Amino acid sequence: MTSEQRRRVAEIFEAAVDLDPAEAARVVATEAAGDTAVRDEVLSLLASHSRAGEFLQQAIADAVPELLNDDQVLAPGTTVGTYTIRRELGRGGMGRVYLAADARLGRTVALKALAPHLMRDPAPRERLRREARAAASLSHPGVCTVYALEEIDGELYIATEFVDGHTLRQEIEEGPRHARDVLPTARELAAALAAAHAAGVVHRDLKPENVMRTRDGRLKILDFGLARIGVAGPEVGALTEAGRVTHDGHVVGTPAYMAPEQIEGGDADARTDVFSFGVLVYEYASGLHPFAGASPLATVARVLEHEVQPLAAACADLPGGLSDVVTRCLRKRPADRFGSASEIVGALHAAADATAAGGRTTWWRMHQLVVALLYVASAVFAWQIKEWVETPLTVGAFIVLGGLATVGAVLRGHLVFTDWMNRAHLAIERRRARRPIVVIDFLVAALLIVDAVAIAGVRALPSVFALSAAVGVSLASVVLEPATTRAAFGEET
Amino acid sequence: MADDHPPPAEDLAPLVYDELRRIAARYMRRERPGQTIQATALVHEAYLRLAHAGTPWHDKRHFVGIAARAMRQILVERARARGAQKRWAALDRVTLTDALALPAADAAMLPALDEALNRLEAIDPAQARLVELRYFAGLSIEEVADALAISPATVKRRWALARAWLFRELSDSPSA
Repeated sequence: MTSEQRRRVAEIFEAAVDLDPAEAARVVATEAAGDTAVRDEVLSLLASHSRAGEFLQQAIADAVPELLNDDQVLAPGTTVGTYTIRRELGRGGMGRVYLAADARLGRTVALKALAPHLMRDPAPRERLRREARAAASLSHPGVCTVYALEEIDGELYIATEFVDGHTLRQEIEEGPRHARDVLPTARELAAALAAAHAAGVVHRDLKPENVMRTRDGRLKILDFGLARIGVAGPEVGALTEAGRVTHDGHVVGTPAYMAPEQIEGGDADARTDVFSFGVLVYEYASGLHPFAGASPLATVARVLEHEVQPLAAACADLPGGLSDVVTRCLRKRPADRFGSASEIVGALHAAADATAAGGRTTWWRMHQLVVALLYVASAVFAWQIKEWVETPLTVGAFIVLGGLATVGAVLRGHLVFTDWMNRAHLAIERRRARRPIVVIDFLVAALLIVDAVAIAGVRALPSVFALSAAVGVSLASVVLEPATTRAAFGEET
Repeated sequence: MADDHPPPAEDLAPLVYDELRRIAARYMRRERPGQTIQATALVHEAYLRLAHAGTPWHDKRHFVGIAARAMRQILVERARARGAQKRWAALDRVTLTDALALPAADAAMLPALDEALNRLEAIDPAQARLVELRYFAGLSIEEVADALAISPATVKRRWALARAWLFRELSDSPSA
């Protein structure tokens, strides 16, 4: 049939289709007169049309809604390779997860059936193989073990250790944790993460849903290195930021635990996990997400820009140091965070030591009080010097020293009081008081030297004493204070 | 409508994404619980494909056509992955014709429909476009008319022709 004949067929069909059969037959007979091929074709199509019923009338997505559901559900009892499905455990961004029995070794496994759309392109498939291999090399009690990556009938499955328990998400939803639970949880998590980082495996999607607590109370991190497979590679470059957000917000998961560099499309490394760890511990300790916004987009904006309030401010009674560790994990620039989870382990270890010692701030407090006394003693001494040698210089030194001593003692007393009564604000108060205190220390030492010089010719011994006091105040400020502060708060301030 | 120089894909991305979301919303008209994520995922997959293919699109109309085609590819692949082809081949011709006319179109038909559509496309590409918009993207007669810049009455008649042609194609020669 020529294209001209086809055009005629279409014309005649369209003219006849809405008419009743007799009328239609007449139209076809007149219009296609002399060309039997055209006539037969039109009649055949009209016949098909009358038989077609509801054919194609309902859009495919309405007619077969399961097709929208990308992955198939495997019914209990179904066998997939050597695995027998027992029941569905849940579904995530990657596909459904089943409890299954592995006939080969007679063990129970969690079998993830990967959503086919993720695996259609060879690139993510290959990446998945690589990452599964890396994840399978991990052996740590805090990491859910990957047993095998199976390719069965063209579908990809990942068999992992089956972890029986509940997720940290569930624990968070139960309400804020006891302060004493937080540090052990953070340490256990950091240790597992550190083992992975040491093996060169990055999680990339650490969040409360991916951490389980087993029935005997141990933590297990799931989906190591396997998450975010669904995120396409360079082709995502064509997406606008909003597109990316929608992408992650709706398809792969929530962006709420992603580090800024991940949101911006950069590479994920151990420091990305460090950030997610910070968000997770913050939320676990306080019940509040540090970047929670009204929409995924608002959350993303906050992850990128919002400076988080120290955890200690949201959550009192936390072991010292933990808040500072979390703050450092949440820094926007990867270079400002801990380099990997093993550094977190070290910092948390120090925090735990301080806690275990009890009254972790005892030495720091004592230091504050002793220096405050030192200020007062300096002022008294300056008064005595003024009595001995009354010159404008010594009088001036006494007046200024008296003032400085008062301000300095009040500041330090305030810190001790804050530590004692309102620890949540201690980090903020310490930051505010740090510079004035250093300046006061320096001025007190300088004035003591001035006094020492002023009386050097008259009273040698007190002059030497004033000099040593000046040296003492300086050393306390430069050497002792950083040491006691670090011991108490774990971080260089 | 179309410019001489198509705007870069990035500029159109938000627009296009909205359009896809609108199509997804159509998919969810019946508001089946739990379908939101799936429809959005589907739309997203279609979007990624388009972005990946780097197909330059000129305007919204052009884009709707491309999106409908992406939907067709995805859904047909899904149906194939479910072994639909085999079930379709197992039907004899009588049941086949009966099954086709029923409103509950089976996913089993999709691979065969896709092949028939390819044959239709070889003869009349415009017809195939229309089927993609109507059946795979789920657009109404009016929306298809808008997308193809023809009158709704014309859409209706051409749709009838395409349906008749495909119906005959499928009931006569089920592909093995």
